[in-house]
Amino acid sequence: MNSLERIRRTVGFQPVDRPPVIAQVFGGAAALAGAPLDRYVRDGELLAQCQLNAWRRFGYDAVFSVMDVNVEAEAAGAVLTFRPNQYPVIATHPLSAQGDWGALVTPDPQRAGRMPEMLRALGILRREAGDESLVVGCVMGPFTLTTQLLGMEAALYLAIDDCPRLERLMDFATEVVIRFGLAQLEAGAHLPVVFDPSASPAVIPPQFFREFELPRLRRVFDALAGAGAVANWLHIAGPVQPVLPYYPQAGVQIANFDYCVSVAEARRLAPTLCLDGNIRPLAFVDASPANIEAQAKDLLQAFGDRGGFILSSGCEIPPEASPLNIAAMVDAARLWRH
Amino acid sequence: MAAAVARTVQLRERGASPESIVTQGVEAAMSTLDAKCTLEQFNLLEIMLVGRAVMEVMKSLFPPGTERASTKGTVVIATLEGDVHDLGKNILKMVLVGNGYRVVDCGKDCPLEKLVNAVERELLTSAPLAVGVSGLITAIVPAVRKLKGLLNARGLGRVKVIAGGAALKQSSAEKLNVDFVAESAFDGVGYLNRIVGETR
Repeated sequence: MNSLERIRRTVGFQPVDRPPVIAQVFGGAAALAGAPLDRYVRDGELLAQCQLNAWRRFGYDAVFSVMDVNVEAEAAGAVLTFRPNQYPVIATHPLSAQGDWGALVTPDPQRAGRMPEMLRALGILRREAGDESLVVGCVMGPFTLTTQLLGMEAALYLAIDDCPRLERLMDFATEVVIRFGLAQLEAGAHLPVVFDPSASPAVIPPQFFREFELPRLRRVFDALAGAGAVANWLHIAGPVQPVLPYYPQAGVQIANFDYCVSVAEARRLAPTLCLDGNIRPLAFVDASPANIEAQAKDLLQAFGDRGGFILSSGCEIPPEASPLNIAAMVDAARLWRH
Repeated sequence: MAAAVARTVQLRERGASPESIVTQGVEAAMSTLDAKCTLEQFNLLEIMLVGRAVMEVMKSLFPPGTERASTKGTVVIATLEGDVHDLGKNILKMVLVGNGYRVVDCGKDCPLEKLVNAVERELLTSAPLAVGVSGLITAIVPAVRKLKGLLNARGLGRVKVIAGGAALKQSSAEKLNVDFVAESAFDGVGYLNRIVGETR
């Protein structure tokens, strides 16, 4: 059974040869290869080579074309600052809450910012990994992109001060996300994971998520599924307990859960979803391989009678993580026997 | 927000002192939010809305150039060099101000040296109670670990160090070499209130 089959069957709660394991190694792949992170996030070929190196080294079940959270915002006009060996950050947001937005133009993924480089990486990853591994792209969730376009504080205040105006921007963000997601599928992704950190209940009230974000996520996932995505994967970090039961309404099939959500809660709140998680990300930096192995085994044991589980971290494994800790998690799944 | 400021003006016109408005009005309101926070029914949006109102009320009571006569103490805050995500720091600032503390904000992407210099400078006019650092990315962990040593080296070892934010709260006070790791801004203020209570 190869990785792609293993993931497909796990999403469908069907028996597998062993539990799948996905190390959320994004920029960490650059660190492992000794490549500068600031180059990795701008060079699709380098990104793909680093990802393939990490995938072959550890043997987990997915490769990622993930640069950082600012790709769509940059393509829509944000000015970024790139520093040596760091993820870029937004220096200037493209829009302001009070400014004239004019005609918002959806960026062309073949031309805008670093979008073409992400697509190039996906092409290389799919060519090299074929259908052996899950090839994963990445788009932001509509609300997260909205916060990137305006700035987090401005977006949150606008939600209260002029909600229809915020909704207009969220609709634009939804179009950007769908267009970029479809381009990723065309370039070779089996699916783009939808990252939506700003939609976490730590940031917005659950009612806001249900009323404003959920319908837009539905549009995104409908479009991706219609274009042949292997599954719909939503990634929201933090305390997602209040919104987890609503994920199926958006068409979500794989739900990431962070370390602050217990296994019992995740199982109870999302009985029909394939879950991936939830080792504390910083543990890959400050814990020992034996500790990571023990946590991984506890998770595998806890989901043993359920299925529908992908062993992973609660969020991105930090670039400064110990390779021994990544190996410990992967080996726990590869050697797991019920 | 406008209603809070209007109510403040009304109270002042009726003779209420700025100090009483802060202690009986603003701090009482913050306590209500703190209780919600403990019940895990809070989110950034709610805190920011309350915070925005608090800051406007404080600006109305203490216009630029004037300062509160008495505070619970001075807290120097920053988001450390390499991290430009300052929302957590800004929220901490609002919650601290709303709870009666004076805040010196060293901004985001702040080098350790600049932060320690600010603490030292504050020592000339007041006794800084604590330093608060917020971090969203794990890359700043090594800098956080150094902070206490740098303060000790300048004779500022009595100043408490509090860490918070999505990345830092995954760790422990021992591993970060700080005095307290706050789960939330309110948790951090609760820790400070306990210290202030002990020293009074």
